Amino acid sequence: MTSRKLLSEAKLWLVGIPVLIWTLVPIYHIFLFSISTKDSAFSGRLWPDHPTLRNFGTVFRQEHFYLHHFWHQIWNSVWIACAAGALTMAIATCAAFAISRLKVRGGRAVMNAALFTYFIPAAFLAVPMYKAMGNYGLLNSRWSLVLAMVTIASPYAIWVLKQASDKLPWELDEAARIDGATPVQLFRLVYLPLMVPSLVAIFTYALLLAWNEYLYAFLLLSHENTIPLAVGLGHFLSSDDSPWEILMATALIYGMPPAAIYYVFRRYMVGGLTAGAVKS
Amino acid sequence: MATVAFREIVKEFGRTRVLHGVSLDIADGEFVVLVGPSGCGKSTLLRMLAGLEDITGGSIAIDGRVVNDVDSKDRDIAMVFQSYALYPHMTVRENMGFSLRLRNERQTVIDGRVAQAAKILNLEPYLARYPRELSGGQRQRVAMGRAIVRDPKVFLFDEPLSNLDAKLRVAMRAEIKALHQRLKTTTVYVTHDQIEAMTMADRIAVMNDGRIEQLGRPLDLYDRPANLFVAQFIGSPAMNIFDGVVRAGAVEALGARWPAAGGAEGQRVKYGMRPEHLEPAASGIAAEVVVVEPMGAETEILASIGETRLTVMTRGRSSAGPGDRIFLAPHSAHVHLFDAQSGLRI
Repeated sequence: MTSRKLLSEAKLWLVGIPVLIWTLVPIYHIFLFSISTKDSAFSGRLWPDHPTLRNFGTVFRQEHFYLHHFWHQIWNSVWIACAAGALTMAIATCAAFAISRLKVRGGRAVMNAALFTYFIPAAFLAVPMYKAMGNYGLLNSRWSLVLAMVTIASPYAIWVLKQASDKLPWELDEAARIDGATPVQLFRLVYLPLMVPSLVAIFTYALLLAWNEYLYAFLLLSHENTIPLAVGLGHFLSSDDSPWEILMATALIYGMPPAAIYYVFRRYMVGGLTAGAVKS
Repeated sequence: MATVAFREIVKEFGRTRVLHGVSLDIADGEFVVLVGPSGCGKSTLLRMLAGLEDITGGSIAIDGRVVNDVDSKDRDIAMVFQSYALYPHMTVRENMGFSLRLRNERQTVIDGRVAQAAKILNLEPYLARYPRELSGGQRQRVAMGRAIVRDPKVFLFDEPLSNLDAKLRVAMRAEIKALHQRLKTTTVYVTHDQIEAMTMADRIAVMNDGRIEQLGRPLDLYDRPANLFVAQFIGSPAMNIFDGVVRAGAVEALGARWPAAGGAEGQRVKYGMRPEHLEPAASGIAAEVVVVEPMGAETEILASIGETRLTVMTRGRSSAGPGDRIFLAPHSAHVHLFDAQSGLRI
């Protein structure tokens, strides 16, 4: 190995190790808390004297004051995340197809507008969004959060899908047109199957965005039975003596689905489906 | 099967005019090749026939019906693309049957037609494979299969062999020609390769700069090119062409008298002679050998007279080597004279 290679390798480690620690320490902390008893949670040790899974039992059986609606709230989280993911995907797919493949007029303007939305921080929109949802009578309905999430996720989703669409060979559309496909058939039989990896990626993106959302969920939903678990977790902090070990156990459970989704869909994140379509 | 008629076709992209009133009649069952350098408008013309480009001016008729405003899918044409354009998520069978499926044909009909096309194209072992599992030549055959299951009125080929290696290209050339002889479907074929054009076409339209320079049977174009462009474009190796002046029934050029008939006394001309009509002989016009390229059955000699390079093609082998002095005997029956100014054949 040359000294130059060695140097660049060393630089890489120098950046990589702190980043790894930075990422893993909080997660380890959560894990440590969740397997500790209430007394030993703040002992400051790297491993508890008496590790226990009792905290998880407490959570699953809803045996704590803050967890009386645990199953309901996690279901809300699932419902909202899936609905936001599906709706975002549907809207972004149709938009990207129309702009990229059908070349509808005004497509460029839509793309620019989509990009422009990111100049406005989501927090600025919270109050207008609250007002709008109130006008539509959607406050305290899970749909309000779904719609808010779709609003926030769609521009990026459209942007990403448009870029992915542009990479599909144009000849496929022409071949399909000559074969007799209508735009709808082109969309259904050629476009959608080839876009699957990108669609999964976008679905996952919107789903996780909604899953992790706190601000809008806190604003738009206030009833114990409509809030997602993210907001439910926040309630733990409302007392002076928070049950940290149970909060962390719940948090760990809440963090599992995103990890699982990443794991399941990771092969879709890499392309390769269009191999063999055209000579490149 | 059908006739195709282009009438005064004009195409503009923005302010750029790429086709300047092209007219072309294609007979029922004919194999017409549009050939020309890149950017000459041949692909655009084909794509307009396919309905993939709007027509700025003029009209296109298939079987007597003007199709200017008819959708691609209703023109009853099939097209083979240079890039194959196979649907990557469908098997060979599904690719070939796709157009019939869109027409809501019964599955038994689709299966029958696909099987028949697969048999013609020797694709039977590959029907369950995906395009990515096929070689370039096989993919191109699938693309052709997709076209023939339709039994369309007109086949369109857009440089279908350009992505194949040289050996496969020759084989596919023969396959396409055999296919046409078997199906007798009217075919319009676009290529920039004049050898493809010569070997496959019933008639060739040589295009340049948005116009048809000459339309005719391959050997007619070869034997009697209408102008300098066609003379230089058709034939490989290319025709020797150099400046000369008509004097007393011959052409004075390169310090020698070249046999020629026609042209007015004193007229400035371009003198053309194909390499195989310029043979080394015991006496004649002296030239110096620059490069000798033996190809077995024939030998190509690059010779020079002054600054001018001439290609000489001789049957069999040659003992000449670089630097040798040889004598060239032009065939007086195969002289091509073009007006120096207009470039038109005299």
